Amino acid sequence: MSEQIHILVIEDEPEVLDALVRDLEDFEELFPVEMVATAEEARTVIDDILDTGGRIGLILCDHILPGENGVELLVDLQEKPETKSTRKVLVTGQAGLDDTVKAVNEADLNHFIEKPWTEEHLHKVVVNQLTSYVIENEKSFLPYMQLLDSTRLSEEMHKRGNISDY
Amino acid sequence: MRLTKVQWIGLVLGCMGFILPLIFTFSGLSFAGHMALGIFLMAAVFWMFEPIPIYSTSMLIILLEVLLLSMQGPVFMDATLPVETLNKTNGQYEVLSQAVSDQQLYSVSSDGDVVPHKIDVRSMPNGKLQVQSPDLNEGMTIISNADHRLVNYKPNNYSDYLATLASPIIILFLGGFVLAEASVKYNLDRNLTRLLLRPFGSKPKFIVLGLMLVTAVLSAFMSNTATTAMMMTVILPIIARIETGDALKIGVALSIPFAANIGGIATPIGTPPNAVVIGALSQQGLNITFGQWMLYAVPIVVVMLAVAWGALMIIYPAKTKHLKLDLSGRFDLSVSAKILYFVFGFTVLAWVTESIHGINSSIIALVPVAVLTFFGVIDKEEIRNLPWEVLWLVAGGLALGIALDRTGLAQWMISSIDWQSLSNIWLLLVFAAVAVSMSNFLSNTVTATLLIPLAISLSTSGVAGSDFSLLITSVLIGVGASLAMVLPISTPPNAIAISTGMVETKDMAKAGVLIGIVGLVMVMIYAIFVWPLI
Repeated sequence: MSEQIHILVIEDEPEVLDALVRDLEDFEELFPVEMVATAEEARTVIDDILDTGGRIGLILCDHILPGENGVELLVDLQEKPETKSTRKVLVTGQAGLDDTVKAVNEADLNHFIEKPWTEEHLHKVVVNQLTSYVIENEKSFLPYMQLLDSTRLSEEMHKRGNISDY
Repeated sequence: MRLTKVQWIGLVLGCMGFILPLIFTFSGLSFAGHMALGIFLMAAVFWMFEPIPIYSTSMLIILLEVLLLSMQGPVFMDATLPVETLNKTNGQYEVLSQAVSDQQLYSVSSDGDVVPHKIDVRSMPNGKLQVQSPDLNEGMTIISNADHRLVNYKPNNYSDYLATLASPIIILFLGGFVLAEASVKYNLDRNLTRLLLRPFGSKPKFIVLGLMLVTAVLSAFMSNTATTAMMMTVILPIIARIETGDALKIGVALSIPFAANIGGIATPIGTPPNAVVIGALSQQGLNITFGQWMLYAVPIVVVMLAVAWGALMIIYPAKTKHLKLDLSGRFDLSVSAKILYFVFGFTVLAWVTESIHGINSSIIALVPVAVLTFFGVIDKEEIRNLPWEVLWLVAGGLALGIALDRTGLAQWMISSIDWQSLSNIWLLLVFAAVAVSMSNFLSNTVTATLLIPLAISLSTSGVAGSDFSLLITSVLIGVGASLAMVLPISTPPNAIAISTGMVETKDMAKAGVLIGIVGLVMVMIYAIFVWPLI
């Protein structure tokens, strides 16, 4: 199952990273969750996933990271064709207006989660973003119906007519 | 393309099936029959194991038939019958040994027809055969090679196989597809759903009944799958509001695919197996009108809906007392949408009143195609989005039917079974039971495609006895193929329902087996007592 859609979490504080990953447990059976602490590591992991034929469906990224910051990384990933369609979410308490504007305009940021988050809210954002990713990039929605937004997926299936009667 | 183990097995078996008749010779089967047998075996295996998509198998069938069986294909392109004139030597007819096969000698009549003659044979020391029969005359044109590929087979023009793609039933489906596509574009199906659900109040029992009726009506004119996908958007929010642990959740989630599967039976355009039946029958000169099909099918649809509703309500009783449906929304009132409403209404009306005005439903089907594109109600985007592969799938099935019929393969296949020992009722039961059980595992269309040629050859060969009705048997096969809903793989609507995670396979199987068995009984009752009266 190397063509799987991965979730990548980038966060340098171990406790916060743990909390994020714990809240993402539900998704793991279909979307493997990868965790890294820096932008540098993130690039290596992304390359590894792409090399084995996998894809990155969603990136949850902290802004303040050691070395290159989160927004710069997201802008860079937006410019690469392989990660252009990846849904990008900034999870932060400290991004200033300039960085936020840059993230929205240049990285096509899909969502902004302010720390501290609630599990319910995070869950909803992840479901929404992954649903959008699946709608844009997948041919068959059926494997994702149970975990993601089945109403939206049904709606899209109906509109596209991508399953016929046999 | 990555194949699973089962698909690999299917691929290998299918190819072996194709080669088998090229290696072994079966007695009583013409050369072309061998070719057709290879195509048939390969197609059947490919359709069952799906190493390639089922529509691709259909495309392959048409290609192979054109190549191997048509007048223009390389096999028959330059073929001419080897003939000689029958003459007496020493007062007896002598012919080359290969001119005789199975004690038969073939002559060519003045019209070019090949006529077999039963003869007495005596071997001669010179390797020739001395033949005797009162049929033989001096100067007769006989065929000097009885195993030649043109003996017992007149190849079709290749356009006969290609023409299946534009056969009347395909055009009828095209009309239905265009209407459905336009309805989705202008939200007609969703708005109709809201309108039709209003009278059903808030009691869960009646809401489920309403959902099933609306689903069935829509799926009678749209694809079962598209209807299911649309209805899912209606019921998923409802299900989310039902308390956890209430069996009603399962009942609601199953009501949609079941009603969609059953509703598809109601009209010729409801689901592809109907097209297979109608298309095959019209090749035999039996034309079923739109209204006539509905006369056969609608009563059984109504009964099966009631059965399915009752079964779901008993197996999955509701704890919730009231359910609120969100029925807000308005009809699109743009000019384009209004044209669609009018054309939709007109077309359906014209279809069901064929017996009054006499204009064929396939001709009427061209009205929505021409008018909706004329006014730009749908444009090339929507035309491209039509499920063309379904049309190919059905056309391939029809083309296979032609080949089975023309090459004598279908007759040859059924001749090995002693059908006389089966009474007509047993025969119907066998066909219905096989159709229902087979289509639980295979595509409904494929099930109908594989079974219909058997029914046709039973009828044309006359072995099935005088109370055998081809029409009734074929309709029974078509209806039976749509009554399979035990497994997630049985139909695409079932697959959608399971994928939501609201129901488990065992829930589906429990209700599906019940519906399958009752359906089998009902279809038998109709086939024996009701349909003969129509």
